[in-house]
Amino acid sequence: MFRKRKWFGLSLTMVLSFMLVLSGCNSGNNSDGNSADSKTQNNTEATTETPGSDSKSQIEFMGWGGDTEKAVFEKLIASYMKKYPNKKVKYTVVPPAEYYQKLDTLIAAKKTPDVFYAGGAHFNKLVSSGVLLNLESYLKSSELVDTNNVWKQGLDRYRYDGTTVGAGDLYGLPKDVGPWALAYNKDLFDKAGLPYPSAKAGEYTWDQMVADAKKLTTTNERGKIDTFGVAAYSLESAVWANGGDWVDPSTGKITIDTPEFAEAMQFVADLSLVHKVSPSPDDEKAQNGYTRFVAGKVAMFPMGPWDQPGFWDLPFQWDIAAWPASPNTGKTATWLGSLGFVVSKNTKYPEDSFALASYLSLDRDSQKENYVLGQAVPNLIDMAKGEFMAMDKAPKSRQVFIDIIEDYGRPPIEVSSKNTKWLDTFWQDASQVWNGQKTAAEFVKAEQPKLQKLYDENNK
Amino acid sequence: MKNKTPGYRRKEIIWSLLFIAPPILGFLIFSLTPLVTSFGLSFMSWDMFTPAKFTGVENFRYMFADEKFYKSLFNTVFLLLGVPIGMIISLVLAILMNRQLKGISIFRTIYYIPVISPIIAVSLLWQWLLNYDYGIINEFIWNIFGIQGPNWLGDPDWVKPSFIIMGLWGGVGGNMVLYLAGLQGISSSYYEAAQVDGASRWHQFKHITLPLLSPIHFYVVVMGVIGTFQSFSQMYILAADGGPEYSGATIVYYIFQEAFKYFNMGYASAVAWVLGILIFILTLFQFRISKRWVYQE
Repeated sequence: MFRKRKWFGLSLTMVLSFMLVLSGCNSGNNSDGNSADSKTQNNTEATTETPGSDSKSQIEFMGWGGDTEKAVFEKLIASYMKKYPNKKVKYTVVPPAEYYQKLDTLIAAKKTPDVFYAGGAHFNKLVSSGVLLNLESYLKSSELVDTNNVWKQGLDRYRYDGTTVGAGDLYGLPKDVGPWALAYNKDLFDKAGLPYPSAKAGEYTWDQMVADAKKLTTTNERGKIDTFGVAAYSLESAVWANGGDWVDPSTGKITIDTPEFAEAMQFVADLSLVHKVSPSPDDEKAQNGYTRFVAGKVAMFPMGPWDQPGFWDLPFQWDIAAWPASPNTGKTATWLGSLGFVVSKNTKYPEDSFALASYLSLDRDSQKENYVLGQAVPNLIDMAKGEFMAMDKAPKSRQVFIDIIEDYGRPPIEVSSKNTKWLDTFWQDASQVWNGQKTAAEFVKAEQPKLQKLYDENNK
Repeated sequence: MKNKTPGYRRKEIIWSLLFIAPPILGFLIFSLTPLVTSFGLSFMSWDMFTPAKFTGVENFRYMFADEKFYKSLFNTVFLLLGVPIGMIISLVLAILMNRQLKGISIFRTIYYIPVISPIIAVSLLWQWLLNYDYGIINEFIWNIFGIQGPNWLGDPDWVKPSFIIMGLWGGVGGNMVLYLAGLQGISSSYYEAAQVDGASRWHQFKHITLPLLSPIHFYVVVMGVIGTFQSFSQMYILAADGGPEYSGATIVYYIFQEAFKYFNMGYASAVAWVLGILIFILTLFQFRISKRWVYQE
């Protein structure tokens, strides 16, 4: 009897962990009862009948974010509903860490929100699984969207033909473009008597950065490093600048075992291992780079536009610079993140859903709201190059953001995948290089077959 | 239709059925259905969007070739070390608490509080305590011994010991109460008889207390092993990506990642079933050998 009970008890726990998530999501979604259920019943093609622009509709919109983002979107949606009184929007915010869990459970339960966030590998997976509405025809017929005035780099991220991002039809509109820039603490540079790093790509190099970082790094009386020259240096930037890459998307071959890749990875590892100008993994664990930078204890640190509001309150002067260039190529690179608004294929109101997505993505007022609050670089080119550039707030060298978008920003590594297990494994195993157990060259050689296997298994 | 059951009797039957309906329905809906479903899913590949595909034993073949599966299994087995250590500490505590002292109940309460503290909050507190640079534990080690303490949560060799220490702090209180109840259930006549025969305190402990507590030892071991195999929450909070070199990931954590990060529901079900069967076998084994060492009064 006892034995049996344990057996059931165990199964129950196993099962409960699955069930809890499911039931938790349902109750969240059903809070206003009528909308969710009515939609699931006619989830087929009976959708095109009444596209009358003034007909009543209710749309569910789901996103993630903290309090700031929630406040911004509540405001945007309120003004949207004021503009179109017949169009109701129900906005749900989910904590970022749980977002894809909740989304995928809703999709499995056929309660997909009409409009929601998606990006990166997850976007590819959603398109491949046929969850998303093809927006190509809506884009062509819409007068709301002037594609010439939207960053091509942002829009193309949401074109996908099942294998290549940037090719094929449109399945989403950019919520933002996120250029990953290098911020620096001006006060620390002044104190060390150093000139600021250049905002122009290719002028500031790895060697110069290491030399500067050495001068910027200081120790305290216990002999521990108090201020670091640089922290969280982007491996992507280093690898791409050096001419390497993780994967060749056309052949699906993992290319980390090239000399360019190994050299770049070693360069990043040596910042802490050899030059001692960057926090070691132990130091990071104790206090991460962000906390250190904000406390004025790191001179150079990467940031995205969304970090601006947090950085505006800092008690020191700061600006952004171009990522240092590799001395081998004279080039630099970094990643350009993006998140998109996508529409469910099963939505009852495809026109209205597209209208909402394009409003959130491209409406002048909403874009302005977004950049004034320091959430993003505008998606509209004329606005980004015009009033955004003239904004009277740090960073002064805003041009760097624009340069990254137009010139040397690249999609994040995961953009070629549907499943990121291989990449997660890479980051996990990379700690062997960061803590000096293996050289980068040894590591990439041993790691390549492992990643290749994971990539092949999950991305076909 | 002829029915010999009298009316009041039928009413009673209906009522009794109604009363047992909630637990039975609960079991059918929340236990049996998912149990059967997950068993079926363990032979399929399902990402929640596209229809599930039957793949036979592919999930199991993949599992037994996956390095991370073995790593997380090893980590889980390593954490079992906490079970005997916890038993010794709880027993010592229980003996200390088993005295007629003024205010003893306050001490008992203090040791029991961790058991009812929410595990997420506790994990976050431990994250601060175990911090490498400014955590109170390393500060203490520095002040007393003048050496730098280990990087508890950052060093692959120290992550699991950290989890064991946390587990002990949270777990000994509950077992202490069990042992306390056991100690108080031992009739004093045994001790009196032993005293008359001239047995020392140690002999009394070894030959009376320990054997008579054996049903409790047994319960604590069985529950401890099962609980350890199911440990998840601390790892989820303290080693969000599996810890350095995956040294903090347990089996349940691995299942969670596969299910809710990569959405390999079929594969996750397969691992969950293997875990279930593993626990089943272990528990069965424990019951078998229990006949040799557990005394029933």
